[in-house]
Amino acid sequence: MCRQCKQTLAWLITTMLFFAIAIALVAGYVPTEATMGPIQKIFYLHLPVAIATFVACLICFAASVGYALQRDMKWDRLASAAARVSVVFCSVVLLTGMIWGKSAWGQWWTWSPRLTFSLVLWLLYVVYVMVRASVESPQRRAIIAAVYGIIAFLDVPLVYLSVRLMPDIHPASVELAGSMKLTLIAWFGPVFMLMFGLIALRFRIDQRAAELEKVESEPITAPGQMTWAGGAGSAL
Amino acid sequence: MNAVLTLIAKDLRIEARNRQTLGLVMVLGILIITVLGLGLGTQNNVNGFSATAVLWVAYLFSGVLCFEKTMAVERNDAVLSALLMAPIDRGVIYLAKLLGNLVLILAVAAVVTPAGVLFFGFDLSAAPITFAGVMALSILGFAAIGTLFAAMVSSSRLQGGLLAMMIFPITLPLVLVSTQLMMRTFRDGLPVSAASVGVLVAFDLIFLTVSWLVFEWVLEP
Amino acid sequence: MTQTQVQSSPRMSTPVDAAIELLDISKSIDERAILRSVTATIPSGQFVTILGANGTGKSTLLKILSTLIPPSSGELRLFGQTATATSVDLRRRIALIGHQSMLYRDLSARENLELFAKLYGVANPTARAQQMLNVIGLSARSSDPVRNFSRGMIQRVAIARALVHNPDLLLADEPFAGLDAPSIDALEHLLAQLHEAGKTIVLVNHDIEQSLRIAEHAIVLRGGRVVVDQPTHRLYEREILSEVR
Repeated sequence: MCRQCKQTLAWLITTMLFFAIAIALVAGYVPTEATMGPIQKIFYLHLPVAIATFVACLICFAASVGYALQRDMKWDRLASAAARVSVVFCSVVLLTGMIWGKSAWGQWWTWSPRLTFSLVLWLLYVVYVMVRASVESPQRRAIIAAVYGIIAFLDVPLVYLSVRLMPDIHPASVELAGSMKLTLIAWFGPVFMLMFGLIALRFRIDQRAAELEKVESEPITAPGQMTWAGGAGSAL
Repeated sequence: MNAVLTLIAKDLRIEARNRQTLGLVMVLGILIITVLGLGLGTQNNVNGFSATAVLWVAYLFSGVLCFEKTMAVERNDAVLSALLMAPIDRGVIYLAKLLGNLVLILAVAAVVTPAGVLFFGFDLSAAPITFAGVMALSILGFAAIGTLFAAMVSSSRLQGGLLAMMIFPITLPLVLVSTQLMMRTFRDGLPVSAASVGVLVAFDLIFLTVSWLVFEWVLEP
Repeated sequence: MTQTQVQSSPRMSTPVDAAIELLDISKSIDERAILRSVTATIPSGQFVTILGANGTGKSTLLKILSTLIPPSSGELRLFGQTATATSVDLRRRIALIGHQSMLYRDLSARENLELFAKLYGVANPTARAQQMLNVIGLSARSSDPVRNFSRGMIQRVAIARALVHNPDLLLADEPFAGLDAPSIDALEHLLAQLHEAGKTIVLVNHDIEQSLRIAEHAIVLRGGRVVVDQPTHRLYEREILSEVR
């Protein structure tokens, strides 16, 4: 098996192992929260994934700046990979947030600051992926995506500040007991491993695809001598 | 700078000559207000201060169309290449396009806002200057982003709707803050919060600067 | 026919009157090499034509010469100075015409000329625009929007636009495309006049016979490389055809 396949396998197994530990902690070790019941435990997934989403967006931003300044396609592939992972993780944030909300306050959706923020973040990076899909020329796509990636990330703090102006009937702070803190930390490990690993995987796939394309593309040739090879009886 | 004025004069002259953009955009704005009015306003379901949100829908869609058309002028006959060869800074082209867009959008706002106020019974008498100021700040940010993105989208053969898709999420803070501000001012009678205005000003400053700086990257000769 | 290339070493002291120096210019777009190691020197006042089959990078080379796009590697020097996208002063001395008019079709010929005269900082732009209108013989139609003009008239206004700031270097990308015989004649005549006035002209053209007739030097591209770099009086059309194959 090639070296990279071994690396990927090792990463996959380790991540799953950490997830198993984390799930075990949630299932067996940590106590069920008094007011909310078992659904509250989705919080242990929600918070690490939310932070991982933000880190993925940050990577996309850095890679976008990198491409804009150096024009090396590697940066473009990294930005693309990070954005896609960010969308996936943000979807999880939205879903877990909604499940939590339904359980805690009886509604699937409210325009609370946190849910709204997650939604806008999700939209920002879904659009990033769609913008990339709309441009054919790789070089053009790279610079357009880079500029959008920069602007989108600069928008994030502004979105954060503006949603805080919205009425928030759901207080954010939660008291965490010792065992809860431990469980929470236990979830950060596998979630972040998953995030970095997925980005690296996607990056490598795109990188390999680009290398293959370069090998296969023909040098430009002039039409050369075109001879009509029609013989007797050939139809015109 | 002289070049900016020259370019704005050029754009406004072209607009006056073919009269395409302004008329289209104004009519679109009024149509949107009418549709929303018919849908929401006839039963008086919409409270007066929600008119801001309705106005925003009209501004967003009219604005996107406006940005597309003003940038399309440069795409015809490769005239953008001629501009790029002229001894002017790329940022100058951005400023000229931005100011031209602002003139058009504000003209549209001048028509659409009274229509909205009329259809939804919005009472601005409490704080008209606040309303105008907040909307002006928001429209400035909207145009700053819209001018940049229109240049990105216009140079390629991309399908329509892409520009709207790109602009809307980025400008949501503007929509959010301005509607919240309007509600607080007109419904609750509270004074304007400096923090809210601060967010608008921050948005405008950040994106004006960034757009002006990166504009030359997105122009395709 | 042997393939020759001008041996110009970047480390040699450059002649002061070189209008254009291409030093090992390469250009790749979307990971495809369009130009490879193009090296050439075009002295001031020379009328050069760039020939080659479609897709060999002629238009790309011209865009690089006009500073509209940067090379992927290598250096472009105009009038002895390194030319980049920010070389605003160098742009004052060059002009570009192509098969597209690069004019605002809703504005009149006069308004187009005045606009570009102002952008280039020409003293007294109104008078200069009128002067150019007289030169191209379109004073009478100067207030009509350009969209109503015929192809030949549009090309005349485009040339006036390019010359309004009195450039030292004129870059022309297939300017004869779509013109009728009298317009072709007029344009050839104009290029000859500009050449006599000492301007440097770089002409990308598909018509080999025409190019060899009106230009004094020819650069032929094949596969993105320079394969011929010779004065035109030493070249025959047949040979060029075989080179561009």
